Amino acid sequence: MTGFATRKVVRKVKKLTSMLHRESGIECCEEPTKYLFIGNAGLTTGLQRECLVPHFTKYGIVDDVVMIPGKSYCFIVFRDANACAVAFNNLQAKQIVPDYPEVLYLAFARSVPTVENKDWHNGPPGSVVLENFVNETEEEILLHCIDWGTSDSGQHLKHRRVIHYGYEFQYHNNNINKDEPLKDKIPEECSVLFDRLKQMGYITSCPDQLTINQYLPGQGIPPHIDTHSACEGTILSLSLGSSVIMEFKHRDGQSMSLLLPQRSMLIMSGEARYAWSHGITPRKTDIMPCPGGGLSVQNRGVRTSFTFRWTRKDKCICSYHLECDSYNEKESSEQNDAGATELEKLHVHKVYEDIAEHFSETRHKPWPNVLDFVQSFPKGSVLVDVGCGNGKYFGQNKDIYEIGCDSSWNLSSLCKDRGFQVFTCNCLALPLRNDSADACISIAVIHHLANENRRLKAVQEIVRVLRQEGMALIYVWAKNQEYNNKKSSYLKQNWHNRKSKCNKTNAHEPPVVNAEEEKSQTEKYSKFSESSSFSLPLHTNRTQFLHKDVLVPWKLKPQSQKLQTAEVRTFYRYYHVFEKQELEDLCLREKNVELVKSFYDQGNWCVIIKKK
Amino acid sequence: MVFRCAVHNMKLLTHNMLTSKCMKGVTVGYPLGIVAKDIKVSETEFNSEFVSRIIPKLDWNALWKAADSIGHSGDLPQQLMEDYENNEEFLKKVHHVLLEVEIINGELVCPESGRKFPISQGIPNMLLNEDEL
Repeated sequence: MTGFATRKVVRKVKKLTSMLHRESGIECCEEPTKYLFIGNAGLTTGLQRECLVPHFTKYGIVDDVVMIPGKSYCFIVFRDANACAVAFNNLQAKQIVPDYPEVLYLAFARSVPTVENKDWHNGPPGSVVLENFVNETEEEILLHCIDWGTSDSGQHLKHRRVIHYGYEFQYHNNNINKDEPLKDKIPEECSVLFDRLKQMGYITSCPDQLTINQYLPGQGIPPHIDTHSACEGTILSLSLGSSVIMEFKHRDGQSMSLLLPQRSMLIMSGEARYAWSHGITPRKTDIMPCPGGGLSVQNRGVRTSFTFRWTRKDKCICSYHLECDSYNEKESSEQNDAGATELEKLHVHKVYEDIAEHFSETRHKPWPNVLDFVQSFPKGSVLVDVGCGNGKYFGQNKDIYEIGCDSSWNLSSLCKDRGFQVFTCNCLALPLRNDSADACISIAVIHHLANENRRLKAVQEIVRVLRQEGMALIYVWAKNQEYNNKKSSYLKQNWHNRKSKCNKTNAHEPPVVNAEEEKSQTEKYSKFSESSSFSLPLHTNRTQFLHKDVLVPWKLKPQSQKLQTAEVRTFYRYYHVFEKQELEDLCLREKNVELVKSFYDQGNWCVIIKKK
Repeated sequence: MVFRCAVHNMKLLTHNMLTSKCMKGVTVGYPLGIVAKDIKVSETEFNSEFVSRIIPKLDWNALWKAADSIGHSGDLPQQLMEDYENNEEFLKKVHHVLLEVEIINGELVCPESGRKFPISQGIPNMLLNEDEL
């Protein structure tokens, strides 16, 4: 090693060990100990324990690997300090783990933190694991009763294979589709399980819904809580074929890992069912407790889980309100259809009609990504712009036939005056033939719909109008206006965020009229008693969104020079701003949709979808 | 900013795509009848490739009926002819009907419910009332 490289290592190690000392009080030292501190590999750096361990065992017996939740470092505990020293000398500042790009920085520690003794056999309150609940013969019978091939409810998800009986469990919203019972009921082979549980006193009736998931090694399921209103307070999960570690998480930050041995039955009720999320981390191995103590790495096999549920007929009345959809239904700002219609009429349609001219003046420069999309279609293609406004994306591709529609007559009129085909309609009911468009764009439209059903309906209408293989580009406003540490152009136009004079023609929104008013960083709840009955948070222009459903002010400048003394009129547009992934999920609820691309563009979530 | 574009009104190609099927109680809603009060014929640039690529996307019968109902079918054949791609004379006729005949004012009429959708200043108003959804 050159002197420079050595100095670099010393500096890095010093930084990491002082961080360790600061955080845990543990000191590192020059003389070898049996505790080897790895400063830049741990649970939060994504390095798996099992990838790390084999590189150290070749230098001596490893008694333990101490990984601490939430930390970017870990410890290897050798049986003796000599082995530890040899490992240190061989591995310091080396990149040893394939696929892990970092070189590792090592030091001898005087001790290791006491990690709360992990209890693998106890999950959250309300969870019970009955080991050896079925024997090997029964396991075989159950695995053979699954007909993956013919059932109409089988599907391959991204991470696993799944099949439903009784009712379909929908993973996009963790809910049960109660309206459409499946023709396949729970297989007869399962009844022995229910008899056993009844005898043991765990259940009194038989479940009516079964989901079978098959996980290959490396597959898992994201943490989730089964929607409260979907099913009753007990959920059963039988593990066949392989053991696995199930991860439980509580919203207060607690987490627990529960070992589900092969052939065991997990019963989740009470707090475990209602308040803790459960999931399986996708990986090929689990660290599991050894019978003789300590931990070992165990390869996962193909695990098939049988999850039994009781569909719920009424609303959930549990006391875990934070996680309860039935409880939160009342509290939600989500509008019912009548409310949504009213809200859109007052705070979308009417506003655009009133601000049409001013709005149109601020809409000239097409966004490059939209332009690329529009220009990608060959001669003779039909493009429909749903919510075309003044038609700013028209006339960019001279080879295609463009039709725009907008709910605002005034905006449609402006679009027509620019020489384009346009009609007025609501995006929830497109007056167009099925399968008639090669392409659709809908830029900054769907976020004006006031409940999820309506947003879904708008997507469905776009898809209906598209021909097979036709493509649509959809933009919606993102709740997060800062992505990858970059402020969106919307935020950049805030007086306080401006570094230089910004180019207002490329703006998503008009320039702030009175920056002084924009100082407040909070969304105030505003009652529009004089104009409407809606009580929605009032967004402050050019700041991050604090709520998902908000009213966004539009300040209308006086039309004529003479009226300079006239007051600036403020209009309030309703927006539902989208979380990450929300637009994708919405589109993928439509079965014949394929996601082509999903991206973030200047404060907007965007997707390109294709009709299958 | 001044846009120097020729103003265009509803073309029959647009009409060919419109339907009232989203209305409550209407199943097909196609083709919409046309009551034309003002028609404008304006010349637009002919592109044979564009027209021959558009033709397969059309409901030919609806196009012919629409053109005929407003007296502008000319000698456009009622049946779509074969090998139209190389028949420039035919493509020009289609071009004319699709892109040059425009409705400024009038109505579109749902064939099932009789609901009228006004066309004014070249813009069909397809907005539905809440009770029609």
